[in-house]
Amino acid sequence: MVAAIKAVQLSKAYNGVPAVRDLNLTIQQGEVFGLLGANGAGKSTSVECMLGTKTPEQGEVSILGLNPVTERRRLFERVGVQFQEANYPDRITVSELCEETESLYRTSVDYRELLEQFGLAEKVKSPVSDLSGGQKQRLFVVLALIPNPEVVFLDELTTGLDARARRDVWKCLKSLKESGLTIFLTSHFMDEVEVLCDRIGILKSGRMIFCGTTQEAVSSSPCDTLEEAYLWYTEEEHADENI
Amino acid sequence: MKTFKTMLKVEMKLSLRGMDMVIFAICMPLVMVVLLGIIYGSKPAYEGAQYTFLEQSFGAVSTIAVCAGGVMGLPLLVSDYRHKKILKRFQVTPVSPAFILAVHVVIYTLYSVISLMSVYAVSKLAFKCEFGGSFWGFIGSYLLVMLSVFSIGMMIGGLAPDSKTAGVAASIIYFPMLIFSGATLPYEVMPEIMQKIVSVLPLTQGIKLLKATALGQPVEEVWTAVIVLGLVMLLCTGIGIKFFRWE
Repeated sequence: MVAAIKAVQLSKAYNGVPAVRDLNLTIQQGEVFGLLGANGAGKSTSVECMLGTKTPEQGEVSILGLNPVTERRRLFERVGVQFQEANYPDRITVSELCEETESLYRTSVDYRELLEQFGLAEKVKSPVSDLSGGQKQRLFVVLALIPNPEVVFLDELTTGLDARARRDVWKCLKSLKESGLTIFLTSHFMDEVEVLCDRIGILKSGRMIFCGTTQEAVSSSPCDTLEEAYLWYTEEEHADENI
Repeated sequence: MKTFKTMLKVEMKLSLRGMDMVIFAICMPLVMVVLLGIIYGSKPAYEGAQYTFLEQSFGAVSTIAVCAGGVMGLPLLVSDYRHKKILKRFQVTPVSPAFILAVHVVIYTLYSVISLMSVYAVSKLAFKCEFGGSFWGFIGSYLLVMLSVFSIGMMIGGLAPDSKTAGVAASIIYFPMLIFSGATLPYEVMPEIMQKIVSVLPLTQGIKLLKATALGQPVEEVWTAVIVLGLVMLLCTGIGIKFFRWE
């Protein structure tokens, strides 16, 4: 089976300052992978290099065996993306944004059902700009799921959501995971990755300093909880980079 | 086709909600016709002319919408969509840049055609203008002028590094084009020296072509105008698509 996502020696710098260094990653189909790291650790840059929206200086990426730049149009029939910052035209309504997104794909799922699942059914006629931060966030998860993707990228998926809304999003993602969806997410929340992720990667200054299951993250550190382990990894100056 | 229809429908609604094109492309040309109609009435274009001044201005006024859509609407929209990272979201979907541009070209074409029809209706019904020229010749010229002006907009939208620069570049081209190429201020009332200078503007050539076909005159310089407009169209469309950036 072809890997869902494969990155080999990915590196990217901005004006000579490295943002991602030598990232190697293989994610199997059906796996949920969470990328952790402080703000500025290189999470979004990693995601964007994988998607081809930023050009890495070095390294190769394939998603579902396809090159995200040269085979862009074929690939993005099968991959959904939610970017960190919400982007939509002025004065567009929820249904218009969904309808337009739906029209871009050959196959898609009914967006009304997704809106229902994500608790946005009543907002269908509202302008997107009138939604609260959490509602917008959920809407952009819905947009990423409209193509009925095999792989979905969710950048800071639940930032700005309240506790209830986060649980609801997790529930939806868990059921999608059961149906075989591969999920790549970035997050700040340890409880979230513990609930959702099969494996996690921890980024520090653009370098992956840990990659494995959440249990492994805890057991290979002197700590008892994932949160402590995460802080230990990211603050420890001499962390072993080959764990 | 489904994609095109849906995108066109949604983007058209957004554009109408914005109102700026309704004002600059639909209302403004009508105001021009009414003003020219009130000022010149049914006066002939010059002593002994077969057609009125207003009939002579028809071709020129019909390009106001083309300028508004092509030189203001299109480049500002493209750079705004890039600035707001809407294009970036499109980049991670199967849609191509040319497709997105095509949707918006069709929207501004619709505005231009609606403006053309309403300008014609008002000149005919309110001021009894007659269209004495070649219908197909005029339509062909109009399409050529339109695509050529739109291509200038696509080029600005493609090259401008941010939406502020696009706004400045669009204004620098839009206002002189609107005033000096004869779209609003009639070419005929300009002093001769000014006429010579403004002849270098592509839209001046376009308006000459439109006037000639609307009035049914033989045009000596028709091929110059066609070639100028054709070249502008090919060059600017090429640059616009080649330098298209998602982000």
